[in-house]
Amino acid sequence: MSTRRPGLFEPRAIGQMAPATKILLYTILIVWAAFVLFPIYWLLITSVKTPAAVNQGPFFLPFIDFEPSLHAWKELFVIDYEDTLRAYMNSIIISLSATALSVLVGSMAAYALSRVDYAPNLITILYFVALLAGVGVAVGIYDVDWMLATAVAVALFFLLARAVGRIYEVRLGNGDILFWIISQRILAPIVVVVPIYMMFQSVRLLDTHLAIILTYAVVNLPIVVWLMYDFFNSIPRDLEESAQIDGATMIGTFREIILPLSRAGLAATTLLVMILSWNEYLLALFLSTTKAQTMPILVAAMNAGERGVLWWTMSVTIVVMIIPVVVLAVILQKYITKGLLVGAVKG
Amino acid sequence: MSSDHAAKTISIREMNKYYGNFHALKGLSLEVEAGEFLVLLGPSGCGKSTALRMIAGLESISSGELLIGDQDVTEVLPKYRDIAMVFQSYALYPHKTVAENIGFPLKMAKVPQAEMDEAVRAAAAQVELDGLLDRLPGQLSGGQRQRVALARAIIRRPAVFLMDEPLSNLDAKLRGNMRAELKHMQNELGITTIYVTHDQIEAMTLAHRVAIMKDGELQQLGTPKEVYSNPANLFVAGFMGSPPMNFVEGEISSGQFRAAGMSLPVTGFADNAAVTIGFRPEDCQVVEAGTGQVDASVYTFEMTGDQSLVTFEYEDRHLVVKMPKDFEIASESRAAIAFDPAEANFFDTASGRRLLPAA
Repeated sequence: MSTRRPGLFEPRAIGQMAPATKILLYTILIVWAAFVLFPIYWLLITSVKTPAAVNQGPFFLPFIDFEPSLHAWKELFVIDYEDTLRAYMNSIIISLSATALSVLVGSMAAYALSRVDYAPNLITILYFVALLAGVGVAVGIYDVDWMLATAVAVALFFLLARAVGRIYEVRLGNGDILFWIISQRILAPIVVVVPIYMMFQSVRLLDTHLAIILTYAVVNLPIVVWLMYDFFNSIPRDLEESAQIDGATMIGTFREIILPLSRAGLAATTLLVMILSWNEYLLALFLSTTKAQTMPILVAAMNAGERGVLWWTMSVTIVVMIIPVVVLAVILQKYITKGLLVGAVKG
Repeated sequence: MSSDHAAKTISIREMNKYYGNFHALKGLSLEVEAGEFLVLLGPSGCGKSTALRMIAGLESISSGELLIGDQDVTEVLPKYRDIAMVFQSYALYPHKTVAENIGFPLKMAKVPQAEMDEAVRAAAAQVELDGLLDRLPGQLSGGQRQRVALARAIIRRPAVFLMDEPLSNLDAKLRGNMRAELKHMQNELGITTIYVTHDQIEAMTLAHRVAIMKDGELQQLGTPKEVYSNPANLFVAGFMGSPPMNFVEGEISSGQFRAAGMSLPVTGFADNAAVTIGFRPEDCQVVEAGTGQVDASVYTFEMTGDQSLVTFEYEDRHLVVKMPKDFEIASESRAAIAFDPAEANFFDTASGRRLLPAA
């Protein structure tokens, strides 16, 4: 296709460009790369500066401007190592568990939404919500025993759900369910942070891994469902039907067909959710005090101590925070390949 | 693997499918003989694919019965029906090699590896795929993918083959070749086959019997020859044949069929105010004006290489006559169409049903 003239907005290969264009392009790219990489460079050098080197002025060249020192690293990993390692372990445990939970549950929900046509009745759902509100009012305002209220509500629901649903038939579809799930994420977490705090307070789970893991899993669930729904939709149903006819069980179909084909989507989603959990600050701030503190909380604390902003230790913390994310990205990258479905159907 | 390799019959009894209020398949009843090649033919949306998917077990049967052999499989899971299916899209597993794709049914049946390799090689050889076993589907051409799908279907020696427009994604030349191979293969294996298509040429060439469907209803069941020469109604008559049958609406009174500028004697038909005559393009001749059954002016003249097609403008419709390849006629000229009234078909215009002469 070398004779074909590329379109106006179609990028040409580097080799086909005029020298001036090439120089301009490289200049822009180098400037941009410097712009992006400088903060990381700054972090690395600041992590090996002494407080004096930080405070005496902007120095950028180790061994020339300033003498590198492991002062900050020593402070975090020798003197205060308990706090640092605890926060590090907390972050790892919480992100991994929350990611695993939300990817597992979310992808199952997404798979069901992509393959099964649901038609819940809106009136029945509203009836359920009304009963729930009724229980709240009865327990909160009229001091009814909560077990009694719940039992009455459950009984009322099962007795009358069908009758109520028949009053007016409004069916919701999969799109509505999907939108409802995604809409949970549209709400800013700050809005619900106080209720979440009070909820975990009442079940005495504040400052535990479990509280933060559950919260993160729920908060990230909509993202997983949304991404994986699109992904599962791109896998033709014919493949599963063919596998069924070829004698595969449901688990066999999942293991042999769906799982290998959705590996790329799962890897991308896992990485995204993992990074979101790893960096999360606001919810962790509310839900943890000491035992369950995560790395972002630790970093923020260095900004607010009576000793002023501790740039050196903060840099060290951030450097070690970046490492696992990079490692994970490298591991998962090989699964995030394009064109996996080529040849499945047609030509 | 099926315990016996004998072909099985398929009995479809009053099979219905409803999607909500939509009646997609209306009381389909069919008896397919062992080893028969049956084609379900009809325009898109006629319920033929739905019927096939119900036989495969991919769609539930709203009411009715389905028997494969003498076993009632109405409520049986697809994998226990001893069937193999070729999808229109081929449905190859893109992450598996050709060999893994072909061997998949045996892998699911937990056949030992050595036996499976042997069977894969044999099946691949049968569809001439040797040498491509390590490729991925993405690296194959359309025709090769089609062969992989076929090999995957034959490897298990199922009791029944189900094929959903398997040739429709191939180009015209390849389709012709594959059609012949498919027919040869089915004949050789002797496996009962139900084949869905909207292409009447495929139906005519492949089928032992054709079941023509429209709007979820079976219109006619018969050998290709029967449905072609004795169509049960106007729909079947118009659907089979290329170019399709010519239709002229008129009436029958006292032994004469009358339409605008047309009057021919018919015997054995009762008087009827609304009758449609149908005659096939290849059953007519173009003759001098005034000497045939109906005079008309030539609308267009086409050479297709092996024959000539003359299209006449008659009233507000076109009538087509198939003539030998060396025939020539000028457009706009006047001529007549001649045919043997005994070869013509008569249909009740209102019901569409074919009228048969009283013996």
